[in-house]
Amino acid sequence: MIIEFGHFAVVTALILSVVGITAPIIGLKTGNATWVLVARRAVIGIFILLTIGMAILIYGYLAQDYSVKYIYATSNSKLPIFYKIAGLWGGHEGSLLLWAWILALYCMLATLIHWKSQPAVMPYLILIESIVINGFLLLILFLSNPFERIFPAPLDGKDLNPLLQDPAMVVHPPLLYLGYVGLSIPFSFAMAALFSGRLGEEWVKATQRWTVFAWLSLTLGIGMGGYWAYYELGWGGYWGWDPVENAAFMPWLVATAFLHSTMVQEKRKMFKVWNLFLIILAFSLSLIGTFLVRSGILSSVHSFAADPGRGVFILAFVTFMLLLSFGTLILRSAKLKSQVRMESMVSRESVFLYNNLFFLVALVTVFVGTLYPLLMEVLELQKVSVGAPYYNTVFMPVALGLVFLMGVGPYIPWRKTTPENMKKLFVFPMLSALILTALCFILGVHKPYALAGLWVVFFVLTAIVLDFNKISAFWAKREKVSRAQGFVSAYQSNPRRMTGIFIHFGVLVMVVGIIFSSMYQAEKILLMKPGDEVNIKNFKFRLANLYGVEGVNWKGQEAMFDVYEDGEIIAQMHPQKRFYTVSQTPTTETAIYELRMGHLFVTIPEVAPDGTWARVRILHNPLVLWVWYGGGIMTVASLMNIFRRDRRKRALAVNVSKTVPGVSPNAAQPTR
Amino acid sequence: MKGFSIWHAFLLIGLLGLVMLFYQGLWGDPTALPPVIIEEAAAEVVAPDLYSGDEFRLSEHLGKVVVLNFWASWCLECKLEHKFLLAIQKRYENRPDFVMYGVNYQDKPHLAKAYLEEYGNNFAHVVDMKGKISIDYGVYGVPETFVIDKKGIIRHKQIGPILGDVYSNLLENVIDPLLNEPGLTS
Amino acid sequence: MKKSAVFFFATFLFLSFGETFLFAQSDPVPPALVMDDDELQTQLKAVSKTLRCAVCQSESVWESNATLAIQMRDIVRERLLAGETPDEIRAYFVSRYGDYIVFKPRFRGLNLLLWGGPFILLVFGGVILLRNLRNWTRPQPETTQASQQALLEPIDEKQRRRLEQELR
Repeated sequence: MIIEFGHFAVVTALILSVVGITAPIIGLKTGNATWVLVARRAVIGIFILLTIGMAILIYGYLAQDYSVKYIYATSNSKLPIFYKIAGLWGGHEGSLLLWAWILALYCMLATLIHWKSQPAVMPYLILIESIVINGFLLLILFLSNPFERIFPAPLDGKDLNPLLQDPAMVVHPPLLYLGYVGLSIPFSFAMAALFSGRLGEEWVKATQRWTVFAWLSLTLGIGMGGYWAYYELGWGGYWGWDPVENAAFMPWLVATAFLHSTMVQEKRKMFKVWNLFLIILAFSLSLIGTFLVRSGILSSVHSFAADPGRGVFILAFVTFMLLLSFGTLILRSAKLKSQVRMESMVSRESVFLYNNLFFLVALVTVFVGTLYPLLMEVLELQKVSVGAPYYNTVFMPVALGLVFLMGVGPYIPWRKTTPENMKKLFVFPMLSALILTALCFILGVHKPYALAGLWVVFFVLTAIVLDFNKISAFWAKREKVSRAQGFVSAYQSNPRRMTGIFIHFGVLVMVVGIIFSSMYQAEKILLMKPGDEVNIKNFKFRLANLYGVEGVNWKGQEAMFDVYEDGEIIAQMHPQKRFYTVSQTPTTETAIYELRMGHLFVTIPEVAPDGTWARVRILHNPLVLWVWYGGGIMTVASLMNIFRRDRRKRALAVNVSKTVPGVSPNAAQPTR
Repeated sequence: MKGFSIWHAFLLIGLLGLVMLFYQGLWGDPTALPPVIIEEAAAEVVAPDLYSGDEFRLSEHLGKVVVLNFWASWCLECKLEHKFLLAIQKRYENRPDFVMYGVNYQDKPHLAKAYLEEYGNNFAHVVDMKGKISIDYGVYGVPETFVIDKKGIIRHKQIGPILGDVYSNLLENVIDPLLNEPGLTS
Repeated sequence: MKKSAVFFFATFLFLSFGETFLFAQSDPVPPALVMDDDELQTQLKAVSKTLRCAVCQSESVWESNATLAIQMRDIVRERLLAGETPDEIRAYFVSRYGDYIVFKPRFRGLNLLLWGGPFILLVFGGVILLRNLRNWTRPQPETTQASQQALLEPIDEKQRRRLEQELR
């Protein structure tokens, strides 16, 4: 009975979402603010009702009610409580409900937070968000109902997919949805700006933190996916250029471009239409990603079960949103003449333009790579696959270009720059990067791509260090304190810029991790019998023993490896091959030994049941931890950005740029 | 329309194209694969017989219509088509220019034998030891069936089980006409 | 028919995955001998990373642990030992499975657009950007901005104000 109550709550939420659509329209037409208040109540109501729906479903999991089809499919009485709850988003239906719930949460928070400060935006915001919520609730209730019962009720559930029984995989979908859905807030503000014709910087400023938060969630979600793939899938990589990974990566790329180009709109009041385009594109790509993943249109490891009915509905919905948003953009922007005015070919503004160009090309690369097989199929031409080799050759150079721009953009002045200034700013970083790269060459890094990548990293790093040095010296002198305290003052004077640079630093760390863990990865796959030894680089692995092991809901085999480095024993590693008895699924459990910020990584994907031999996959992944460290730095810096306190010192900044000609004026210039 | 630029047109066309692509794509099956090696010379098969271990060579059967059926004991759909395979063999067993072989795929000999015991058997089977044969024939999964003509050319590839219409089509439109074609030696 | 094909592949996908474990049960001899030649392993990895494991979804032959992938790896290894080049090996698999089997679409026909498209776009975009930049940096009379403001403002302005006031 209680399950039906949850179902009823979601149905009511659907009805309220219709109120959320109609009330603001009436309010705008009649000019009666009461209607907007009604809409606000509806938004809060939707959130409460969806929360009830979610809570009841979770209750169903905990109460082990397997008469609910979805719970039956994604849970089992033997599961730990943690994974019982996580079962909620372990499949298509429940994860959609989570999507809708997060959307309702965002919408409510945005309504409450901006109610006073952005009254004019409210009806549009609620309208747009309600349309999206409405679409998703329709999909949930009519085509993917998680509250559906089965009769007769099975005694026990089919179990959550063992691959998903992992902490990283539990947080991965919610984070990803926080990111996808989070983009709907700046999107709604942009639509409000379009509808109301207030196309200034206001909407950009109001949503900056929302965008950073959505971006951070997306980054973390993608990162968690990679982390999970690395530890759980056992092939030693974190990114496979799988269509579903790409589906999450595309909105990320556009959101990143958007975060950058909005700065131009804030500071120089340019690129208005372009920013609207970017955020609409970013959110559209979130929706398109949802379509790609859930319609089964692309073959991928992650796909949900395909159902053309669902696919058609989602496609219809996505098409509606695309037409609504891009259509409005086209109609409105046709009335907007380009307002771009620049003083110099080389300036911060123009570098932002190139940044955007590179991001867009990166997007096109991923987009085309993902959809090309589909295109070939539809055209009934030869069926093709596009995979890592394509992205490595086409995407990577573009990505490296973006990293390079990280060393240029933040240091070049707004408006105008002179050749001497350029020389002062960039000749030294280029030379120092050359020297450092040469040093790496001497130390044994000989692959040209790795060296090119390192040169770019060193270039950006030197630019960052130089700039930090300059501004902390400036503030130390000004406030008569030490260099370190000067740095703190510099940070406080413009936390937004500084956190941005910190994020760049995190990217650099990650890039180094990616360069080494991909290009200098050593890997072997072979069959080993107990007693066999294998060498990989200067490590030696000896398979000491193979034996059976058992867990709560699985049984399997374990291998014991003695690991030697240069003849010295350094570790024992115990990879496992498990077989989950309920779901009848085998998994490989990776054994990882951390070594100088890299990993030794062993899996046994296949074992003879009598323990006479095992198929062994051994990897050395140097500096792979830097990938996660980089992600960590980016996370912390983004949080610092979201929770920063801006100081307003306009007068001061003007003085700065006048008094100290050596300092690039923008470097010390506060946000506003 | 004033201010309507070429970029807007690009954008609209792009969106439209994308939606059409997605719509078309919905009706396709991303796992369906076009057959590749039809109308090409069949690769040589050298494999041990499942029971006797005697070496089977496809080239020794040049001049006959050869049916190669890839199957495994763990494959559910193989069980569905098995009685139709038996019927094919029964129908043509008196023809000297016809031969059918089962290719046991990713399987264990004792499981394969138990399977044949349970479901009946009236034709010979060979073992695909290291997947060499199945990869040579571009096999994705089982069951897959190939019909090779008297000149040693692959003329038909059936992905999935031979049942009902597929069965009668295979007999009437593939095997019968091929048997009526002149052989190599004539 | 279509449905049954889907079912067939679904079953097969499951089986080929589950099967590595289930049917390893009584294998008396390991199918391939222990191999530990650094150079060979490096080449094997390079080639099999460009081949798609036909029964997996977007996993390469190197990464996958499915039986077919293991068998394909063995064939790559044999052909490497026989002295074939990576391109020849890829060509062999393409002749058996079609273009679908390689993760690296061949440089021909429409595929050229796939490979070159992004770079063309980059150059094209760069040129357009430069041209526009030149236009934008050219000094313009200040009046344009004002007239644009005039164009922009009237949109829903009345309504907006009314609403703003009422909400306050």
